[in-house]
Amino acid sequence: MSAAPPLPPRPVPDQDTLPFWDGVAERMLIVPRCASCGQWIWQPRPVCYRCRATNPVWTQVSGNGRVASWTVLHPPVLPVWADRLPLVVLLVELDEGIRMVGQLVDDEGTLLQTDGTAEGLAMGARVALRWRKEADITLPAWTLVGD
Amino acid sequence: MSRKAVVVGLHGLPFSKNIGMTERHSGALAILGALKDAGLTVADVDGMCRYVWQPTTEMEMARVIGVQNLRFFGAQDYGGGAGAPTMALASMAIELGLAEVVVVWRSRNRSSGGRPWVGQIMAEGQDQFERPHGLVRPADGMALHTRVWMHKYGWKREDFGNVAITQRRHAQANPMAMMRKDLTMEEYLSSRWVAEPLCLFDNCLETDGALAMVLTSEERARDLDVTPVYVRGYALGSGPQGYAMTFYYGDELGVTPASYVAPELWRNTGLKPDDIDVVQFYDAFTPQVLLSYHEYGFCDEGDAPAYIASGEAPPYNTSGGGLSEAYVHGFNLLVEGVRQVRGTSTTQVESVNHCLVTSGAVVPTGAIVFSKEPA
Repeated sequence: MSAAPPLPPRPVPDQDTLPFWDGVAERMLIVPRCASCGQWIWQPRPVCYRCRATNPVWTQVSGNGRVASWTVLHPPVLPVWADRLPLVVLLVELDEGIRMVGQLVDDEGTLLQTDGTAEGLAMGARVALRWRKEADITLPAWTLVGD
Repeated sequence: MSRKAVVVGLHGLPFSKNIGMTERHSGALAILGALKDAGLTVADVDGMCRYVWQPTTEMEMARVIGVQNLRFFGAQDYGGGAGAPTMALASMAIELGLAEVVVVWRSRNRSSGGRPWVGQIMAEGQDQFERPHGLVRPADGMALHTRVWMHKYGWKREDFGNVAITQRRHAQANPMAMMRKDLTMEEYLSSRWVAEPLCLFDNCLETDGALAMVLTSEERARDLDVTPVYVRGYALGSGPQGYAMTFYYGDELGVTPASYVAPELWRNTGLKPDDIDVVQFYDAFTPQVLLSYHEYGFCDEGDAPAYIASGEAPPYNTSGGGLSEAYVHGFNLLVEGVRQVRGTSTTQVESVNHCLVTSGAVVPTGAIVFSKEPA
């Protein structure tokens, strides 16, 4: 009997975050937005931290943005990534102004085994949303695109 | 404030990779040693404070060492951010007259007990948006901040290397320190990556350690055969949009809660950076030392490398700190801060009146000033 393949840490949604993961399952990136003042609220919270309205509405974002920072992971890491290093984790600033974390993937959404040099990874580089599958877990990820 | 808190006892067990006992056991031994150092006994203890991450609660520790009654107890959260806030809690209890002898300790088997992130396979809360993408180790979260700072301030890897090398030199004078081999810039720059731009020597050590302190009132300390070290003042700060380690989502990318602690600290202590003779800056990672110099107001934003090179900066992390002495969630920095005021550091700075000690950056945190004289 072969051992089960290692998994990444599994997201555990609660009532305040479940719509995000439901969106991800349908390959839609949705974020709470305040229905009163328009503030994007990331990470998700039930109250608008700017105007205290309690009616955020899950709203689709473009997924386009720029690289705000990144790291390149090296050993020791969790078993799921151990034979796919180095890999890049991005901090992406979406055009809507919020920042999200995701891995650097190719145009098809496959994790790149790279330190980003060959791909021209740089602060401020443009990225676009892709979807990455990891066993039964779907995750947003980003690929580098030209300006 | 009429009642003043003072530190009268210190003790630490030898740091190691495997201390060979539970954190309950090592913590109890550290506490008993600190009471002995103060000339006090368990019968005097009526207060106990700990980090939330301390696995042994105050109740359990009081039971282990046989405290008759705790009149005050409490814990502070947020990992390495908890050091100064825990000391602040103990000091407040004394200042308010809620307790007379308060024990504070941190024991942690962070080496033999394994890496906590290895088993964290379910990602709840903030983690659900980070861990599945690979931000799992503390270094991963710090690496993203570090690149922001490098980009914003022009910091180079050599600037971080200088921090690691300086602290290694301090550790070489400290027989308790775990890492005492020479460290050169060549070795630093060629060491393996962990999470770029952080390499092995940018990371703190993985240590089994147990340290404790005893605080009491200035008045009670007069009966003891020790030179008290005054808690001159302290402050806490969360900043806006708080997260643990991944302070990425607010309006001020690259700013940490220390920026919010600092003005409160200088107001509460009546001091300014110029008054500080020596600092112990939280150093789970080298860049935090550079950041702390400007966030606490010692130099202009981003100027720490030049400020340190100028010789004007107060010396930092004189025991070797988390990078080279031991990593016990910053509690060893607090102990070293008291030693500097006592005059018993192995890298003693001349005529220390005030030592600043800070706790973890990029988490809600705090800072404290230990002084030779009361305010």
